[in-house]
Amino acid sequence: MKINADEIASVIQMEIEKYGAQLDVREVGTVLEVGDGIARVYGLANVMNGEMVEFDGGIQGYAFNLDENSVSIVVLGDYLQIQEGAECRALGKLLSVPVGEAVLGRLVDPMGNPLDGKGPILTSERRPVEFMAPGIAGRQPVREPLQTGLKAVDAMTPIGRGQRELIIGDRKTGKTTIAIDTILNQKATGVKCFYVAIGQKESSVASTIKVFEDHGAMAYTTVILAGASSPASQQVIAAMSGTSMAEYFTYKGEHALIVYDDLSKQASAYRQLSLLVRRPPGREAYPGDVFYNHSRLLERSAKLSKELGGGSLTSLPIIETLEGEVSAYIPTNVISITDGQIYVQPDLFFKGIRPAMNVGISVSRVGGSAQIKAMKDKTVAGGLRLALASFRELEAFAQLGTDLDAATQSKLDRGYRMVELLKQPQFQPLEVIDQVMIIFAGNQGFLDEVPVTQVNAWEKAFLQYMRDVKGSVRALLAEKREMSPDVQEGLRGAINEFKKGWKPAAKA
Amino acid sequence: MAKASTTFDPGLEHIGMVYSKALLGATEKSGQSEQVVQELEEIVSEVFDKRPELVPALASLRLAHEERTTMLDRAFGGRVSPTTLNFLKVLSGHGRLGTLRSVAKGARKLLDAKRNRIEVEVRTAAPISNPLRDQITARLAAMLGKEVVLVAKVDPELLGGVVVKVGDTLYDGSVASRLVSMRSQAIDRTTARFRDSLNKFVTT
Repeated sequence: MKINADEIASVIQMEIEKYGAQLDVREVGTVLEVGDGIARVYGLANVMNGEMVEFDGGIQGYAFNLDENSVSIVVLGDYLQIQEGAECRALGKLLSVPVGEAVLGRLVDPMGNPLDGKGPILTSERRPVEFMAPGIAGRQPVREPLQTGLKAVDAMTPIGRGQRELIIGDRKTGKTTIAIDTILNQKATGVKCFYVAIGQKESSVASTIKVFEDHGAMAYTTVILAGASSPASQQVIAAMSGTSMAEYFTYKGEHALIVYDDLSKQASAYRQLSLLVRRPPGREAYPGDVFYNHSRLLERSAKLSKELGGGSLTSLPIIETLEGEVSAYIPTNVISITDGQIYVQPDLFFKGIRPAMNVGISVSRVGGSAQIKAMKDKTVAGGLRLALASFRELEAFAQLGTDLDAATQSKLDRGYRMVELLKQPQFQPLEVIDQVMIIFAGNQGFLDEVPVTQVNAWEKAFLQYMRDVKGSVRALLAEKREMSPDVQEGLRGAINEFKKGWKPAAKA
Repeated sequence: MAKASTTFDPGLEHIGMVYSKALLGATEKSGQSEQVVQELEEIVSEVFDKRPELVPALASLRLAHEERTTMLDRAFGGRVSPTTLNFLKVLSGHGRLGTLRSVAKGARKLLDAKRNRIEVEVRTAAPISNPLRDQITARLAAMLGKEVVLVAKVDPELLGGVVVKVGDTLYDGSVASRLVSMRSQAIDRTTARFRDSLNKFVTT
């Protein structure tokens, strides 16, 4: 390949010849002081809140505070290059990011600049970073499922397309893993995924991207990175710019999923900016509008009406708590904004129950209507949450060492097996049909004779068996997507046949 | 490069505006505004600028108010109008003599606004001749519908053309900025065409 320099030169020459000089009229101000990513500017009398400005040297920022005598500008680039007394001009436009198919499979910063060394992002379309959420007429109830591929989540806190489901828990409890598994599971669904990493270690983001690449998920995923070393301004807008990129698909009638990992760090960055421009601190020193900051962001996740194309944007915000403290300011805010939460706990995590979801306090307020019929059936996951909750009570009671009657003992045995059954290794999302079959087997007592330690091996062998030998039963379920009598009968027969041939592996 | 004045204090500016509003309120009735404002400007340019060491002495709060008053009397008595002298004494009484510079500036701004005048900064690469200056003033006055006070500045970095600043709006017709925009436009458009038809530029 050779680049034709003459051709380029002639194009440049043509452009210069065509250049029509226009009087450049601009609104200007003078930088009074600059520091910590904030520039205070005198002048700019007609600048509007949120308007973009440009400093000498092409560094951009946006108006954040309009004070009586000056304007506070949040600098989006390297503020150290801005000098006192420098000119600052209003650009008369809002912050926007490149959107389109071209951003899929890319790692970008919050301004949409590529960070992955794969060349420029070839798209001419842009969307504003701050965009109004659709109004009430532009929405419809959530009705299609967004399968996470996790048995525990899909069975008990199902997520629908257009829902906002919070993942909340202490550090190192597998919050990100739930989100990653969900993204991996969208491979065949056509859902476009956006992973917004805010204030994270770049090493962990690198390993997340590695997982996406290894599982072929990068083809439909965009990673928006504002790492721990990025300026606070970038960390704040990362969430919004990721949403804009996702909205492009939503408003095209497609489905998108966005993960904000995590919103507590975004709130901290927003607090930093607010305090630097001297907005009054409120509870936990967060500014008064931190709730609005999150609510208007999450309100943009919606299931659009038919007139708007019927697309959807599902969001999985992540909040990190300290010592399980959900009554802190930001966790309570986000809990009240979202349509449910998946609550992960360290004690469950270390007991080996992974995903470490606490079934009792995790809820999904709208996802139930989006669950497929087969999963909702009372022979499968219907009532599973309550059954598990009563099991936990019984379990605590049984620890007192009292003698138990046979009925209670069998209830306990069933419970131990169900808990075991809901465990799932990371990065191995299951198809919803497989989930239905295995939960059906557990719920209907087919595993009661299987030793608890062997449940996972049984599950693996059973799913393999259903795929290889009883393909017709599986296909029938996949086609009907409900537990009609013939499906149930087929499943029972298949399970009984499988059990005959199954031997527990020798103890290691 | 920093081109504008870098000593800018919005707080001081604000105090200046408050005092100048009061000053003009007092002088407008007697029709002395023009004279008083001009005298204040002269004190700033002739005394404060030329003998900067005097400013701390005048503004010092170590001296009693009476001492400062006699000092003002001796220094300016008979040389400026009684209104101006009184105003200086009021400033001194409030310990605000150090803000005289911003007061004079604020008073000028307010008076200009009252008289439907506007200060326009015109920057050129080379000094402009008087006829040209008059021509520019007339054109700007017709455009803005106000009496124009032209402040001409020379900035060789412009290379050519003219830059006019009215309030916060900058009309940039300089050769330097045209070259910059020509450069960025040529680069942008060429890269756009490069993207559209890559094969045209590349021979395999």
